[in-house]
Amino acid sequence: MRKSVLKILITALISGMSIPAVGFAADDALMQKIEQLSRELEQLRNQVKANEEKANKAAEMQKSQGTKSDAKEIGDLKNKVAKIEEKSLSKWLTIGGDYRFRVDSLHGSTVPYTSAIDTMKNLVGGFTGPAGVSGTNIGGSGSPTVSQFIMQGQAGKLFSPDQFNTIMTQYMPQAMAAMMPSIIPNVMNGTYTLQNTALTQQQSAILETMKAKVLPSVYRMQIGNVPGLLALMPPGTPATTTIQQAMGGFSPAQQATMMQALMQNFLGQNSGNLAMIPAYKPKNETLYTNKFGLDLTAKATQDITIHAKLDMYKAFGSQSDSTTVGNYFADRVGVFDGTLSHIPSDSLLNVDRAFATWSNIADQPLWFSIGRRPSTNGAPSNLRLNNERPGNGGTPALLVDYAFDGMTLGYAPDIDMLPGAYAKVCYGRGFDSGLKTSANSIKDTDMLGIAVIPVDTDPLRVWMQWNRGFNIFDFPAMNNTIFGNTAPAVNLGDIDWYGIGAMSTFKKVGPGNLNFFTDFGLSITHPSNNVSQNAGFQGLMTGEFFAQEAPTSRTGWAVYAGVRYDLPSKTKLGFEFNHGSKDWITFAPSADDMWTSKVGTRGNVYEPYIIQELNLKPISSYLSKAFFKLGYQYYDFEYTGSNNWVGAPKKISAIQPTDLMLLAPMKSAHDVYGTFEVKF
Amino acid sequence: MNKIVSVVILVVMMLVSTLASVQTARAEEAKMVGSISKIEMAADGKSATAILKDNKTGESVTIIVSDELTLDKFNDKRIVEGDEIRTKYEKSGDKNISKMFKKTAGC
Repeated sequence: MRKSVLKILITALISGMSIPAVGFAADDALMQKIEQLSRELEQLRNQVKANEEKANKAAEMQKSQGTKSDAKEIGDLKNKVAKIEEKSLSKWLTIGGDYRFRVDSLHGSTVPYTSAIDTMKNLVGGFTGPAGVSGTNIGGSGSPTVSQFIMQGQAGKLFSPDQFNTIMTQYMPQAMAAMMPSIIPNVMNGTYTLQNTALTQQQSAILETMKAKVLPSVYRMQIGNVPGLLALMPPGTPATTTIQQAMGGFSPAQQATMMQALMQNFLGQNSGNLAMIPAYKPKNETLYTNKFGLDLTAKATQDITIHAKLDMYKAFGSQSDSTTVGNYFADRVGVFDGTLSHIPSDSLLNVDRAFATWSNIADQPLWFSIGRRPSTNGAPSNLRLNNERPGNGGTPALLVDYAFDGMTLGYAPDIDMLPGAYAKVCYGRGFDSGLKTSANSIKDTDMLGIAVIPVDTDPLRVWMQWNRGFNIFDFPAMNNTIFGNTAPAVNLGDIDWYGIGAMSTFKKVGPGNLNFFTDFGLSITHPSNNVSQNAGFQGLMTGEFFAQEAPTSRTGWAVYAGVRYDLPSKTKLGFEFNHGSKDWITFAPSADDMWTSKVGTRGNVYEPYIIQELNLKPISSYLSKAFFKLGYQYYDFEYTGSNNWVGAPKKISAIQPTDLMLLAPMKSAHDVYGTFEVKF
Repeated sequence: MNKIVSVVILVVMMLVSTLASVQTARAEEAKMVGSISKIEMAADGKSATAILKDNKTGESVTIIVSDELTLDKFNDKRIVEGDEIRTKYEKSGDKNISKMFKKTAGC
């Protein structure tokens, strides 16, 4: 408004000034008027200027106030974002996992042997058959009838303890006594012909076992209670004479012949009881499996983290482990607590790992961790599995690959000379025996270990390990195996393990990086006097089926070496070799091998493989990747009992067709496999 | 067995408590535990700057890392932003030079 007035005035003034002065003649009054107008004009100009300054000032003030307000809002917003971020899932929860499709083509080759299980079935079938001894009074006391014997059984069990007791203390002695009348006359007159005069090593041992466990019951019988026996004795022999007393009348040679004859009638080649299995070639040309894992890591509080790994592992077209387990290796007879999620079973998502870790205890590089442990797939198996190094977790794969429930106390000191060094004490429970009662005296099975890793860097990682298994059980708890439902029944003793190994990565060796490792393991058994009845009186790496052996400590060793070359094209070429000695035993049933855990092999295993990673940008995590893998495993077994601590190893080439064995002895096995794997 | 476990745990605890009481840090060195908020690789790839948020004080500390093994872990994403780190560094002027830089131990 004022600006307009000013403009009008100025225009008027200029218009006025433009009128020729001559037209108005010099007039003082007029001049004064002009001067007055000029002064007024100046005043107006000043006023306008003052107003403009005032207006600018006001605008600036307003602007300044606005900026301050924005800054505050931005600050508030930032705080809000920080708070939301602090509590956001990504801040405290990490989700990852893996998927694997795998196809295996499995071929094996066994040697002739005799199935101990089927032979026992034949024997019991004879005892309980129409001409059997069950329900008779041979020997003076009645044995259980067939119905009673069946009633002694337990669901899922091949033979219950009561049934086993009946067999050993009633049926077998009765059957043995019943055979005597047909043998004694020929033995006495020297015309008895043994099936084989030379017993196999196992048969000799079986004879000794029968003398110790069956014969005492026979010797206690009175000859008058054994049909046909009294008539063979010299006239006047009292019917109350025991068989032991009667045997005193025979020469040692005759007694030996009689015992051998009795044993051969039970378990000799022509006894009709032996379930002899000729050599055969088991195979599964296409075994497809699906494996899916979900990893969760939650930062619960400062320094405390929870880890969980949920795993599903199943074969195509199956909801049981029957497609992948059998009667070849102890670690692949069935799925149990330590191998759940590591042997194909069903589509359930099992908890493979769940543990809490407290780090930075007392502001020191000290940690304590407890739960279902990451004690599977340890170094150096990460190379062939194409996993990251296990860090502070895991155990040397040569010694332990078992899903343990346990705890760890670890310390990682800052020693300049020993980068990455740490040490830890680990404890795990392999079996909890439950409430102790008069009927349950079996002890818990525990594992204690100390690991020292003096250096852990890319160029060099060294590990040293000792662990001891206490109160090792005979059979783990499994269902629907070839032995029926099994459970630990006896503690067989302890085992010590020692291991030392190293792995290294050399960068830029030729066009790629070279990884290699070597590992050495030692196992020493400390058997107790206990033996497993369920395993035919075999102990901790001692004895054979029905051929008990005195407890003897056995020392075994193993080596494991491998190399992997990583090319810039993301192609990885690897080769591994491992050898286990006759008495080598490991605790690695969860190893990622289909036939049996290769590091537990008593013999040699060769495994070349190739991995081709896809050159795809990771999205779900920095380390996510997808790859194909093709590999081949060749097992060359030298001794029986790979991955089995029950019973003594036997050289494969020395196995006799009449040798009773719980598991089929395999001399070689092949597995050609391919995978498509995604880690996310 | 229980006795052996108890003795072993006791010995380890004693060892740990002894170690915990020893002041190992040298005067010119500092140690801290904190989460990485930022990693920036140098253009030549021969060093990196990592900003860590101290777990204790909440302050951000900038540390220069130049050892090859740690740089490899940055490059391979084996150490990434968000990871908790135990570090030892030397104060040189206004710069903190890493002497040790590793993820906090635990499994």
